[in-house]
Amino acid sequence: MNRIVALPRKLLDVLRAEVRAASWFAALGEPLTEGDRGDAMAYLAALGFDVLEIGLARDWPDAERLLKAPDWAPAWWDREEALRLTLLAEAEARYPERALWSSLTELTIETGDLVHGKAATAATRMGKAAAASIHVAAGAASQAVYQLALARLAGQPASPFESKFRLYAAGRWPLGVIDSRLILF
Amino acid sequence: MTDIVVKTVEELKDAPAEFREAVSKLVISHAINELYGAQVFDEPAIAYAPTPYAKWLTCRVAMEEYGHHVRFKQLGVQIGIPGERMVPGTGKKPLSIFEFPLKTWEEFVAIKLLADLAEILQVEDLLHCTFHPLRNLARATMPEERFHAQFGEDFSAELVKTPDGKARLQAAVDEYYPYLPSFFGGSKSKNNEIFRKWKIKQRTNDEMRQDFVIRATEVAGKYGLTLPEIRQAA
Repeated sequence: MNRIVALPRKLLDVLRAEVRAASWFAALGEPLTEGDRGDAMAYLAALGFDVLEIGLARDWPDAERLLKAPDWAPAWWDREEALRLTLLAEAEARYPERALWSSLTELTIETGDLVHGKAATAATRMGKAAAASIHVAAGAASQAVYQLALARLAGQPASPFESKFRLYAAGRWPLGVIDSRLILF
Repeated sequence: MTDIVVKTVEELKDAPAEFREAVSKLVISHAINELYGAQVFDEPAIAYAPTPYAKWLTCRVAMEEYGHHVRFKQLGVQIGIPGERMVPGTGKKPLSIFEFPLKTWEEFVAIKLLADLAEILQVEDLLHCTFHPLRNLARATMPEERFHAQFGEDFSAELVKTPDGKARLQAAVDEYYPYLPSFFGGSKSKNNEIFRKWKIKQRTNDEMRQDFVIRATEVAGKYGLTLPEIRQAA
């Protein structure tokens, strides 16, 4: 039987500090490093995919084209979503529901404001980004932080959301699995 | 005597009781409706969005709507409203549109196109509010509300490119639009009378409703959509 305990403020404070220190969108389009590849492979393995190729989006128009492709394969999204729901259920069983939801909402909103600015800076620096794509990038990054918070609150250190966040923290934007390749921007 | 301006939360304590109560009612209403909107429409829409681009854009919209709730709730707490009065399920009846769970992506696009236009009108009316913390909050919220309405326009433009997409969007408009005019409240609303007396709000519910119908007809027409006949206000 689960016991409801107070929300671990320290855990959330640590995560907030990691979010502030991350190099959001600073390495978009840059050549991949071994570290990027390692985090990408760890993410795929934790999500249950066999080894896939790692691809690179060159610029914002390239990323937009990939993200808008109508024939995209939703398996990676669906696996993330199934895992999110499991983690949410685990977290809800541990912590008072209203406190949990309020904390996640506050964290996500704070993150959203931060990463929106970072995405706008990156888009201005690189050029050729559609205005809506800045919102898309902010939505993706905020979602990654929300997923990581859930994983940590649920006590799941081996979650794919850890390696996904590391990619963002290193300045990358994982765009998803497209044509049997995990595409990083 | 009703020409007062309240520049800070602290000054509100010295404002007439009717002014304070009117401000509280508005803040509660906005806090609850923003949360309903995020929970009933924006968050579920992520699953219906057709591509990662649309999904993450919808994520951002949902976060901003939750953010609006948080901002209004924070202001409410500052002026002494208990937090539990600013979340759904604590007495205030939800708007009828929130009783219909989202079923398709087209419904969400129609809601962003038209319901967020209604939200823009509500926020616009607060841009000259005599309670300045609420006026400032409206000004901070407005660019995001405009972005959400633009989201509705952008995806409407995509959907109407095919006859099937246009038919599905039109069906969604036909389903949801009739509920929107009541969003502006009754024609003889006592609350609205008090809001205007203190210049907390500027226009009558009927003036706003009429403006909404004109603007909704215009924006729907841009995408070859028509609006069904509307119900009378409550």
